[in-house]
Amino acid sequence: MRTRTARSFLAVLLAGSAFGTAEAQDPRIGARLDAPTRKAISALVDSARAQGIPVEPLMEKVYQGLAMGADGPRIIVAVRSLTTELGSAHRALGAVATTDEIKAAASAMHAGVPAVELGKMKKQSGLRRSLTLPFTVLADIVSRGVPVQTAANAIRSLVGAGAKDKDISDFQRNVSVDIEKGAPPADAAETRAKGAAPAAPAKPERIEKSEQE
Amino acid sequence: MPDWGRTTLELIVQELQHPVRLDESFDRRVMVRVRRAYAERRPRGVAAWIGAAASVTRRPAWAAALAAGIVAVVTVGMLRPRQAVRAGVGPIPVQFVLVAPGARSVAVVGDFNNWGLNDTALVAENHNGVWSVSAPVRAGVHRYAFLVDGKQYVADPTAPRSSGDDFGMPSSALVVEGTTQ
Amino acid sequence: MESSDAALVTRVLHGEVNAYSALVSRYRDKYARYAVHMLGNREDAEEALQDAFTRAYRSLARCEEPERFGAWLFRILVNRCRTSGARRVRRGQTFVHDETALLNASEEHPAEQTMWREEIERALGELSADQREAFLLKYVEELGYDEMAEITGVGVSALKMRVMRACDRLRVLLREVHSA
Repeated sequence: MRTRTARSFLAVLLAGSAFGTAEAQDPRIGARLDAPTRKAISALVDSARAQGIPVEPLMEKVYQGLAMGADGPRIIVAVRSLTTELGSAHRALGAVATTDEIKAAASAMHAGVPAVELGKMKKQSGLRRSLTLPFTVLADIVSRGVPVQTAANAIRSLVGAGAKDKDISDFQRNVSVDIEKGAPPADAAETRAKGAAPAAPAKPERIEKSEQE
Repeated sequence: MPDWGRTTLELIVQELQHPVRLDESFDRRVMVRVRRAYAERRPRGVAAWIGAAASVTRRPAWAAALAAGIVAVVTVGMLRPRQAVRAGVGPIPVQFVLVAPGARSVAVVGDFNNWGLNDTALVAENHNGVWSVSAPVRAGVHRYAFLVDGKQYVADPTAPRSSGDDFGMPSSALVVEGTTQ
Repeated sequence: MESSDAALVTRVLHGEVNAYSALVSRYRDKYARYAVHMLGNREDAEEALQDAFTRAYRSLARCEEPERFGAWLFRILVNRCRTSGARRVRRGQTFVHDETALLNASEEHPAEQTMWREEIERALGELSADQREAFLLKYVEELGYDEMAEITGVGVSALKMRVMRACDRLRVLLREVHSA
């Protein structure tokens, strides 16, 4: 492998002399950003990586911004905001959280759910199940107007009752349909949460002393 | 003009050939396992262990330290994220459907295809105004949207809304299950 | 003077278990690179590599060519990586590059490096495990096809096809546009 040849090609490429034409487009997507934007985003990515924050979502945000025609400063704002949210989510959920859980938690935080609430849920569920889908649904129903605490309580109760991802998906669909039909968001969420929770096994009745008399 | 085929490949390889340095504790961790394997296979070692275990019961301080060590090893093992053994899960086919009778074209763009950059958009097929496309999507959580007529971003009405700075455009959230449960 | 692989293997087989640490140090970083790119994250790579070293130790008596311990170990590692994950799980921190090597790449601005590195990792993750394995062995680890066949147990023509498809896919993903 002739790495020296590759390096000299790269040096010319970065000089930006002869290769700016549409016919010889740089394959690197990052090269579509102007230099200051590229530098700012790379710094954010490096900083995120150093803190153990997932960097893939940051790159995805860059691509989304480029595709949607956002300018450099706008993309930087979005990436910076996401970095902050991912960092908070990472700290709240702890070392056992997956990248997907952190991404979903960041989404929930963007919708207004406090990090501490998400941290409580993760602590409660531990490694038993992933919270990627529950956090995603939490973000969705909050964005549809369900008050944050009501939404968090609903999701927490579903997860605590052992609801599977499919149950929680169905819950999200039902709540969104109810809200579209005019139901108050809080009522829709509370009602559907009751119905979606898996039935708990019947507990033996405790007969209170007063009832025995 | 450069041969981009070779240049791109050389750039990729040059990057991938950068050295990777592991933490110096790696050697220690390997040798712990190796010494354990060595101790397991030595007949004299086994007898010696039994002898040591017998002496442990007579020496409470040793026993406590041994027990603490065992608990520490077991606890660390339990804290390893379960998803680390998510082997054998490749991309999973997902169908995207949008009802848009008036559209001339519909594509799906999202995190899983670089939002359509470099011509990676998933082009949907039209069946009487019902546009659909299926594609393999790797397990995980993704943002996506339909791109109608090449210019309008539309969220998926059947999917959870994506929450985040989406540059003023609507998008949806897709969770593809690998071994998420 | 540094001991050869064969000398170290002999010492280990004679009960000098600590001599194995020299083999670990010798091959650790070299094979870490392959494991990291194959599995997509440092954590799984370290686990696979630790596992490979341990397995190699346990079956050291079956290493028929102690002077080629490195190649034999690599074969074990390639198998561990296959078992460890057909899917690469991307986590927050992938891997740490050698700072010196980065500084020496003076033609490249560090900022360019970061984004380009991420794009390559993403593209690598989009390859099938077979294609990724073949591509890394051929171009990154610079093995010949005969060596690759010995390590993977796959025929040379099949390996060539995988490498070709990997290159084609990487070019599409990293989208080069040939000049007229």
